[in-house]
Amino acid sequence: MELIMEQMPIVIRSLNIGFIQTLKLFFVTLAGALPLGLVIAFGSMSRFRPLKCLAQLGLPGWLTEFRPISCVTRIVVWIVRGTPLMIQLLIIYYFPGLVLNNPIWGGGESGRFLAASVAFIFNYACYFSEIYRGGIQSVPAGQEEAGLVLGMTRSQIFFKVTLLQMIKRIVPPMSNEIITLVKDTSLARIIALQEIIWAGQAFLKGSQGISGQIWPLFFTALYYLVFSGILTILLGRLEEKLNFFR
Amino acid sequence: MPILEVEHLCKTFERTEVLKDISFSLEQGQVVSIIGSSGSGKTTLLRCLNFLERPDSGVIRVNGEVLLDAGDPSPDPDSVIRRKRLHFGLVFQSFNLFPQYTALENVMLAKELLAREQPDYKARKKEIHEEIRVLAEELLRQMGLENRMNNYPHQLSGGQCQRVAIARALALKPDILCFDEPTSALDPELTGEVLRVIKELADQQTTMLIVTHEMAFARDVAHHVIFMDDGYILEQGTPEEVFGNTREERTRQFLSRFNQG
Amino acid sequence: MKKWIAVMLAGMMTAAALSGCGSTGNTAETEAPAEEADAAQADTSDVAEEDAAAEDSAAEESDMAYVQGKGTLVVGITDFAPMDYKDENGEWIGFDADMAKAFAESLGVEAEFVEIDWDNKILELDGKTIDCVWNGMTLTDDVLSAMECSNAYCNNAQVVIVPADVADQYQDEESLADLTFAVEAGSAGEEQVKALGLNYTPVTAQSDALMEVAAGTSDAAVIDSLMAAAMVGEGTGYEDLTYTIGLNSEEYGVGFRKGSDLAAALNDFFASSYADGTMESIAETYGVQAALIEQ
Repeated sequence: MELIMEQMPIVIRSLNIGFIQTLKLFFVTLAGALPLGLVIAFGSMSRFRPLKCLAQLGLPGWLTEFRPISCVTRIVVWIVRGTPLMIQLLIIYYFPGLVLNNPIWGGGESGRFLAASVAFIFNYACYFSEIYRGGIQSVPAGQEEAGLVLGMTRSQIFFKVTLLQMIKRIVPPMSNEIITLVKDTSLARIIALQEIIWAGQAFLKGSQGISGQIWPLFFTALYYLVFSGILTILLGRLEEKLNFFR
Repeated sequence: MPILEVEHLCKTFERTEVLKDISFSLEQGQVVSIIGSSGSGKTTLLRCLNFLERPDSGVIRVNGEVLLDAGDPSPDPDSVIRRKRLHFGLVFQSFNLFPQYTALENVMLAKELLAREQPDYKARKKEIHEEIRVLAEELLRQMGLENRMNNYPHQLSGGQCQRVAIARALALKPDILCFDEPTSALDPELTGEVLRVIKELADQQTTMLIVTHEMAFARDVAHHVIFMDDGYILEQGTPEEVFGNTREERTRQFLSRFNQG
Repeated sequence: MKKWIAVMLAGMMTAAALSGCGSTGNTAETEAPAEEADAAQADTSDVAEEDAAAEDSAAEESDMAYVQGKGTLVVGITDFAPMDYKDENGEWIGFDADMAKAFAESLGVEAEFVEIDWDNKILELDGKTIDCVWNGMTLTDDVLSAMECSNAYCNNAQVVIVPADVADQYQDEESLADLTFAVEAGSAGEEQVKALGLNYTPVTAQSDALMEVAAGTSDAAVIDSLMAAAMVGEGTGYEDLTYTIGLNSEEYGVGFRKGSDLAAALNDFFASSYADGTMESIAETYGVQAALIEQ
């Protein structure tokens, strides 16, 4: 116990540095994935049918009704959601140098962070997009029709009418994903991004004169717990705030 | 000249013909009631007039101007359709109020968005907003909702919601106001207050097209009654003609069911 | 290993391209050019070949020129006292770190230290995210085949770690037969216990192997003697553990990309700094002079 108290300041300093990386990755991912997810959601709902004009030629329905944008986005979402994030991190970080012989990310910390951000943003945007899609599609069609007959444009209808109703519906599933994201950031250690788990593990192996200590690793759980607690409260407040309408 | 002329309107969904050669006209200040059993095409007709469905053929004219010629191979872009829609207002069976806005905001929203397209909007922003608010409040007062302006839809009864929806449609001053079974989603008790409001509008010479199952109301208020069956207009004329002097056997059948009930 | 990854990635890219509901045009169908970077546009089914071609061309154009061109020698390390570790100011020091700095200086470039996941060291090298692995790396057959390695510069042994109170029972190889071992996966220690036919559990790091013994989940561990000296016994985190016999002797070397000319350059550098005594004086700073190998 005494030993732990002695090691505490060193460990805490180290974990704090790691946790800042964790937070950075968390917020950058959110900032990127929330809007990108919406774009992907619109992609997967796209009704763009370039072959529609060929319908007069008597071509079969599956061809004239073909929606390339929707098709491509849905397949991308399938691939991204269907493969482990850990593999995606490895591919995004090592692929350019390994196969294309052009290590665009570089070896430094900022390059690793950038690569991790790209992987996380893309991965989470795909998950978010499905939540958005569900949210948008659960807003009754009558809302859009009411907007249309009142002479509103489609973008006005989306931003003034649909959006807030969608947000209200997606807050609970989003909260789930966001809290998962807090913990998923630790996967970035596979490309040696030194987040808090890495920092905690370092003391197991030996770092700054402390070795063979597993408690710092367990101690990281406290950081996650406190942070997801704060997020839970904030998201709960948002949910309450949106309770003014039904 | 009639304010609305519909000629030879046809609409098919998949393989079902929903509208078959619909033609009728409507004079300024007139009320037309459309009656008929469910599935006879009444709602689809209103949706075609409001550009929520595109008919397969036929012509729609307002004040002599061709709004839609379904035979025209190049359909109008969204922006043009949006403008044309404003000739019509539509009150839905299920109100479709925007739940995140108060009664007052529901009435003001579309008008404010349209006002942004005025050239002098930036300069007169406050003034315009004020004008729209005064108009909206006036409309809601007319609907008997002066104490409900700042309530959200979920805090209002069905009848109150439908009256807000009527005010919302009126705010854009449409040439023709359409009602799609405005009381079908309401308790019998609440039906009266909505019908009273529509009656008042009729008294003020509002041009209206009302799809309804309230036969007594249709008879009272309408200048002209259209009976639709299986996609056709089977019979039309003054209320006296249709209700008192029914020509078609099918119409008689339909009306007798209502008279019993 | 590298080929496999390339093929796998190529497969995934092809799948992605196919699933793109239409081809984006095979710009590189004509000929596989040996120029670097252009491969981004290449037909993905050729990626494995491209990769091989790129590898050749990289060798032709000289790794040293590449490193000098960008001005930094990126050194892949782990936190591993006394070879690579941080001082109070967060500066990387240690026998390996100091030698790497000196070597970089001799090339006219700056040494940049990057902590890596040890499991991915070959991936990092081949992906050019680091330029060398310089971290008390044992020259095993696997390492020699996957990297261009320098001459050995330091002696090391794999030693057996057991709880101090039972250490006297395990002073020869025969006595180890009944024990369960924890060893780092892919380490020289694992090769040794495998060769002796001992019972063992692979773990992810040498430090984890120590943890296993301290926690009693394994009877013994096999780790590097240099590490054992620093981490086990009086005044360390594992006061109740000690090390007994050495299973073999082995040597540390520095790893570069396959075909790199930097390995030869480092051998020259080792020779000259050994001759003028700088290597020995750095070794003394970190207490590893006894293990130093004559260059």
